[in-house]
Amino acid sequence: MTDTSHRTYAVAIALVVFFLTWAAVAAKPWATPKQDPRLATLAQREARLRADAQLVQQVVDQRLAAYRIALKARKAQIASSQARSLQVAQAAAAPAVRVVNLPPLTITRTS
Amino acid sequence: MQRRAFTAMGTEVELLLDIEPGEIAERALDRAESEFERFEQLLSRFRADSELSRLNREGRLDDADPDLVHVVGLALAARERTGGRFDPTVHDAVVAAGYDRTFDEMPADRTGPAPSPAACGGSIRVDGRTIELGPGTRLDLGGIAKGYAVDRVAEVLGLAGPCLVNAGGDLAVRGGAWPVGVTSGLTLELSKGAIATSGRDRRRWRSAGAEMHHLIDPSTGSPAAGDLVSVTVVADSATDAEVLAKAAFLGAEVDVPHVLVTADGRTVLAGGLA
Repeated sequence: MTDTSHRTYAVAIALVVFFLTWAAVAAKPWATPKQDPRLATLAQREARLRADAQLVQQVVDQRLAAYRIALKARKAQIASSQARSLQVAQAAAAPAVRVVNLPPLTITRTS
Repeated sequence: MQRRAFTAMGTEVELLLDIEPGEIAERALDRAESEFERFEQLLSRFRADSELSRLNREGRLDDADPDLVHVVGLALAARERTGGRFDPTVHDAVVAAGYDRTFDEMPADRTGPAPSPAACGGSIRVDGRTIELGPGTRLDLGGIAKGYAVDRVAEVLGLAGPCLVNAGGDLAVRGGAWPVGVTSGLTLELSKGAIATSGRDRRRWRSAGAEMHHLIDPSTGSPAAGDLVSVTVVADSATDAEVLAKAAFLGAEVDVPHVLVTADGRTVLAGGLA
């Protein structure tokens, strides 16, 4: 091995060490990462949406509860109305008959 | 008062229409009469070409007339409701008793072997417009068909004005108040609904020396025995009245106004009649 060869190896190693050092320094491992402002906006928006969703859920729950109460009342109203209609229908369908002292217009007999 | 009388469904039919004479009255009465003819053509067991006769012959109809389907459905419901006292499958029992042709064609006294009871209660299946009878089952829709026809014709005639439709004692009214004789001395004024009478005081004959009549007790397959001569029932439709009268004649309790005539000549008013 000649001195020239030694020098060439030394230069190559020095170059590798240099670039590794450069890359390590360029990565700035000591610096805190800078936050992307779009991410921050997105996070804020998400938080706002969550709050809105909670509000909407509350309103929906309230309305559903009110609807259920109204539905129950309406069902009771319909049932009572149906019962009344049935009574009326039964009364309307019921035959109307009485014993009279009149000459008959026609007769019923074994058919 | 317009009146028309004719014969249909093996009995005398009387139509009373309380409007002025004229074309409307005539057309309404014509329509009512043709409806009776249509029902007879459909539901008579004495007409070989009726749909009912075809059903009885073939045991199945796939495209039955809606009215036949409806009457069979009503008869099935009536059998259920009366615990089998009303049964449309009495056809063979009625025929076995000797009522095998129209009553006008029957001899008053038949000779030959004594009639033997025939089984009733066969199966009937109705699915859409298909009617299927169980093996050996044949239908006699006589009474209920008459009641049904009376109800339908009363609807038609009632469009023209207050009316009464009477088919051999099964009658229905629409509007007005109609005095109807039940027995001598008892008249009921009917202003809504229908009346029907079932009994053994008519449609009687002798067969091999035995007294027979047309009301078959489905539990025995023979003409019903008992101490009642007739039962008259008031109900909201002639179909119902017919079914209930038959059931009451066979001993069922009915909760509608009714009149019982017993063999010892008593007339009993029940079900709120007084």
